[in-house]
Amino acid sequence: MRITRRAVSVASLALLSPLALAACSGDADGGGAAGGGDAAACEPSDGEVTLQFTSWVPGIEDVVAIWNEQNPDVQVEVQTGPNGNSGTYQNFFNQLEAGNAPDLGQIEFDALPNFRVQDGLQDIGACEGVQEAADQFVDWTWSQATLGEEGSVYAIPQDSGPMAMFYREDLFTEAGIEIPTTWEEFATAAEQVREQGGYITNFSVADINQFAGLVWQADGSWFANDGDAWEVGLDSAESVEVADYWQDLIERDLVSTLPGWTSEWDNAYNTGQAWTWVSAVWGANSIMTGAPDTAGSWRVAPMPQWEAGGGAAGNWGGSTTAVFNGTEHPYEAAQFALWLNTSDEALDALIEAANLYPATIEGQQRPALAEGVEFYGGQEIYEVFGEAGPGVPAGWTWGPTMTQVYNDLSDGFSGAISGDGSLGDALGDAQESTVAALESQSIPVAE
Amino acid sequence: MTPTAVAPTVASPAPRARTRVPHKRAIAFFVVPFGVLFALFYLLPIGTAVWRSTQVVEREGTFGPPREVFGGLTQYREVLANDAFWSSIGRVLLFGVVQVPVMLGLALVLALLLDSPLVRGRRFFRLAFFAPYAVPGVVAAIMWGFLYSPNLSPFRDVTQAVDLLSADLVLWSMANVVTWVFVGYNMLIIYSSLLAIPAEVYEAARLDGASQLRIAWSIKIPLAMPAIILTAVFSIIGTLQLLAEPLVFRTFSTAVTSTYTPNLLVYTTASVPNQPLAAAFSVVLALATCVLSFTFLRLTQRRAFQ
Repeated sequence: MRITRRAVSVASLALLSPLALAACSGDADGGGAAGGGDAAACEPSDGEVTLQFTSWVPGIEDVVAIWNEQNPDVQVEVQTGPNGNSGTYQNFFNQLEAGNAPDLGQIEFDALPNFRVQDGLQDIGACEGVQEAADQFVDWTWSQATLGEEGSVYAIPQDSGPMAMFYREDLFTEAGIEIPTTWEEFATAAEQVREQGGYITNFSVADINQFAGLVWQADGSWFANDGDAWEVGLDSAESVEVADYWQDLIERDLVSTLPGWTSEWDNAYNTGQAWTWVSAVWGANSIMTGAPDTAGSWRVAPMPQWEAGGGAAGNWGGSTTAVFNGTEHPYEAAQFALWLNTSDEALDALIEAANLYPATIEGQQRPALAEGVEFYGGQEIYEVFGEAGPGVPAGWTWGPTMTQVYNDLSDGFSGAISGDGSLGDALGDAQESTVAALESQSIPVAE
Repeated sequence: MTPTAVAPTVASPAPRARTRVPHKRAIAFFVVPFGVLFALFYLLPIGTAVWRSTQVVEREGTFGPPREVFGGLTQYREVLANDAFWSSIGRVLLFGVVQVPVMLGLALVLALLLDSPLVRGRRFFRLAFFAPYAVPGVVAAIMWGFLYSPNLSPFRDVTQAVDLLSADLVLWSMANVVTWVFVGYNMLIIYSSLLAIPAEVYEAARLDGASQLRIAWSIKIPLAMPAIILTAVFSIIGTLQLLAEPLVFRTFSTAVTSTYTPNLLVYTTASVPNQPLAAAFSVVLALATCVLSFTFLRLTQRRAFQ
């Protein structure tokens, strides 16, 4: 009997751990007293200021060091973390809830509404120089940062991710396969590549923002916000068309379905198993680090088109520097964010360290972006992305619960590639679950 | 134990104090630190989770700031209606029904072998069996993930013929990882209970002419039963709380969804972020674990402790 009782009490202690896990994020709501809409309060602070800034951009420490040298009174401390959806966003949400968020954080365009709806962003629209900076930015990036609200600015855009197609020039030439310019040609080329033993590309079920980029190119739309309610259109006609296209390629085993951003995936690209990657401008860096053995063999071509001769492009990623609700120094934070994303020296450093493609019109003309890139056989690859930029349809809106949308869609896509339903079905399911998720947080949804 | 703690109680000879509880201050001295930590790190988090699970979010307009207000059992209704939650529970139950008996069976056999007088190199094997437990769970999962990988595994002939990371098999691939890590740990608990069996019992058995096998079956296993049940309860709890393995395997296999196990679902929900719903999931999961552990103890108690 003695052991039983002990077993029971130990057991009941052990049970508690999931509770502890769920509760450890605390219960304080919001951060400081300043609400998200309190823009009038953007005054410089007295004395020396230290700002906390969390980012995952490679080499960001060196860029910040330039600022710190020039601004002894406003020192910025950098913390680095994993990519947003790999953990940093969750940290941000937890920190906001606990009231100890950093002053500034790296937030991608797709996550801005999510932070806004949780009241996590400081409106810096009234801070000196912020409104005036609007003209410097590519239109759609700026409208993402204002979230469509008059007079408000919630973040300073940093980079954008116009998409194009990276391809293995050597393999295509050797096999005598034409570089596809339309999605129809892409499917035909996929068959020919498969005959050679490779896959034309890998469809990664977890990269829902890549899929979103493909829908974006097709001028689809997932969300719309008219100020009163959200419209959800995950299963809109364009969306389903793109899904059906890839479903067909998957069913015919013409694309591989390895999980993205893993060693297995790197290996597929490094060993020539995967021949193309329809990705964003920052993907140039990913290939260089993930597939170092293929140096010199890659080239960049415009994204395949739905209509021959079209010039539409999607966008994948791109991020902003946001100021978090609860900061005591919105003025200094805004000044730093402006410097980081508009000044020549910062942009040059970001381009060099991380192959970022600036969100400012002038930044996209930096000399570093006009040079040929050795890894790509000396091709001036940024020119291709520069031409893709204007082809990105304006008016794409991200929803307020993208983390949930990504999870649900990715789970659905996982099922589809294991033969449980199709990508199109997954869109339908995610549509339903997204509407439910919005309603459960009292976010109004239009019928 | 420390003299400073004992001294005041020894030095207080007041006879009246004896009629009340003796050693009051010493008891307080030893209990209060525990009580404070227990309250801070168990009761408070549980209370917070239960309280948060009764909240619902309200807001005005599309970007209105969220306010949490009391919503009674609203979140629990969502939990009950959530298919993903119940199928994740079903998945870990299936996992447990197969993995726990296999693991404990192995642990028992290893413990009996170690306890057998015929075995040499006992110390070496005891350490060797236990060593995997010293590998952190996440590291073990990453290592096995690479071993299973179709293209990166050193055993590609096997992994390319049978996709161990496919939707059909990945659950059992993870069961193998969990077994590998925890077999030695459970073996050690069972083994130490075998060591506690008095030598006279064996002597009596040998005088009665029992073989080693017979001794193992009729003496060792029944006497070690409380330890086996203890390990079973731990394993059931561990199974329901699977998190590290599925989280790591998400980077190797697309078949592991974000709602694969109950704890992963809690984690996913909390990252949305939807804290009230995540709290409600946690409370229900804890209750389910409680019910399951107690049911198991109830069912086994009579047989084991007579």
